[in-house]
Amino acid sequence: MALIDWIVLVGTIAGIIIYGIWKTRNVNTTQSYLQGDHDLKWWSIGLSIMATQASAITFLSTPGQAYEDGMGFAQFYFGLPLAMVILSVFVLPIYYKLKVYTAYEYLEGRFNLATRTFTAILFLISRGLAAGLTIFAPAIILSTILGWQLNLTILVLGAGVTLYTVSGGTKAVSVTQFHQMVIILVGMVIAALVLVFKLPENVSFTDAIRFAGSMDKLQVVDFSWDLSNRYTFWSGMIGGVFLFLSYFGTDQSQVQRYLSGKTLTESRLGLMFNGLLKVPMQFLILFVGVLVFVFFQFNKSPLHFNEGNINAIKTNDTYALQYEALNKEHEILFARKKEVIHGYINQLKSENEAVIATSKGEVKNLMKEEKELRERAATLIKKAQPSASTKDTDYVFITFIRDFLPVGIVGLLLAVIFSASMSSTSSELNSLATTTVIDIYKRSFVKEQTDQHYLFVSKAFTLLWGGIAVLFAFSARLFENLIQAVNIVGSLFYGTILGIFLVGFFLKSVKGNAVFWSAILTELLILVIFYLNETGTPISLGGREIVVSIGYLWLNLIGCTLVMIISLILNKILVPASKKL
Amino acid sequence: MIKTENESSLPEKFNEDVPPILGTWNKLYLFVLVFHALLIILFYLFTKAFS
Repeated sequence: MALIDWIVLVGTIAGIIIYGIWKTRNVNTTQSYLQGDHDLKWWSIGLSIMATQASAITFLSTPGQAYEDGMGFAQFYFGLPLAMVILSVFVLPIYYKLKVYTAYEYLEGRFNLATRTFTAILFLISRGLAAGLTIFAPAIILSTILGWQLNLTILVLGAGVTLYTVSGGTKAVSVTQFHQMVIILVGMVIAALVLVFKLPENVSFTDAIRFAGSMDKLQVVDFSWDLSNRYTFWSGMIGGVFLFLSYFGTDQSQVQRYLSGKTLTESRLGLMFNGLLKVPMQFLILFVGVLVFVFFQFNKSPLHFNEGNINAIKTNDTYALQYEALNKEHEILFARKKEVIHGYINQLKSENEAVIATSKGEVKNLMKEEKELRERAATLIKKAQPSASTKDTDYVFITFIRDFLPVGIVGLLLAVIFSASMSSTSSELNSLATTTVIDIYKRSFVKEQTDQHYLFVSKAFTLLWGGIAVLFAFSARLFENLIQAVNIVGSLFYGTILGIFLVGFFLKSVKGNAVFWSAILTELLILVIFYLNETGTPISLGGREIVVSIGYLWLNLIGCTLVMIISLILNKILVPASKKL
Repeated sequence: MIKTENESSLPEKFNEDVPPILGTWNKLYLFVLVFHALLIILFYLFTKAFS
């Protein structure tokens, strides 16, 4: 990496961190540390909410996903605006009225301590695991660029983010996120523009889009009713609404963001801001991924995108030559494919359907050949290094950044990824510490202590959660795709958590015991369904063998619905016991 | 720290605040949802046009 890139990267990151620490140098009470000073305006809340959700994973994994599977992932966010409106109408006023530190405090007043503690623990598990993944993602970049070992990189990065969060608390998280989000948006727009300008001379932007479309990369909306398809309009609009209601309404890493608003109006506007901008932003990121796909049709990509794996096989005496031979084959294939694609793009303008179909078939065959070549390379890498993960889509965008962006822009794009990582990880660690202190430690263990004691404990728990996140990050490479891993982990718990809150908000007759046991039963059922789905283990129902096959987004809907139905049933059964509470 | 207020009347009271644009919260919510619906229609047309 050039010196100027280092200057841009280090200058941007250090500038934001120093600004955050300087702005929060007077934070010396627990309330200020955990809640901020309730002085945020709506645009700051909106950007903070977006920055918390958009982790480095979003900017590494999402373009890779579009490169591989097209833009259908945009549908994942279709339920978000509706969720923002529902939260603004029903949930925000309650949190503001009760002046809570955490969302789970509400549950004790509405139900009982057991329900509050159980829900807080579900949050701690899901968010604790996700925090590990948000540290892991940017660690990939550093390890690739600096040639460091991945685990060492995770440790260094995790320690840095943790120390920064420990020192600043909620206020530091909020004041830095504005600047981080600006860097992120500017950086992604520049990446899109560079990709457009780097198209070959005889390929216009429209040609590029038409080509990507004909290769099935621009299918944003899919109305098919297929439960096993992860991303459809329906899974996004139904499953997605439940996921986002749970994420934004009950996940402390988000609740903490909008509860630091100056007034209820500012917080509501912050949510609306997110509802308006989130889907277009995801569209932009996916579109950048599609442009990267087009770019690599005219510029030779590596046979395998994970440079760590390539370096490992190149030093392996047994497989290095075989890999080199595959590389040669890839070069020849790429030259042929490039020529055929140029011809195909010209024919797309001719509107001669028969010729276009023939040419398209030829391009598809060459792409199939390339895919097979990549699979052979992956098999070889696996033979050389059995522990290696050969799924390389998360490395696609970073490879483009490192190898093809102009000097200076490389540093800026890396700053984008670091900014995204810092903003979401610090929010997560901050909320994990807040929930641990407020809902567990202070509520059930050490109730009467000085403010300075709780401030110290809050910082200590932030440090502890940073350590746990780093440990989990060490095993994150086992996941197929990072952003999916984060969302799958969320979907395992969010349905249950949302169900508990919805019972609290809307089913006034249901008491604490009923919702507590229904939540435990539901969570067990969700984990069983997930296990059956992942392993393909058949179950016997009425003499018939059934294999569970369901997209993970539906787990949110199933979990939420089950909690509500089971709690209504249990409430009927447990009424006498509930009355004794 | 624990609040046990009955929050059933909260939305009415807290809906008294008004957004800085469009006059009422319902109009603002409608704007957000209509904007989103238009976006999905555009995405659909985009999908159709380039597939």
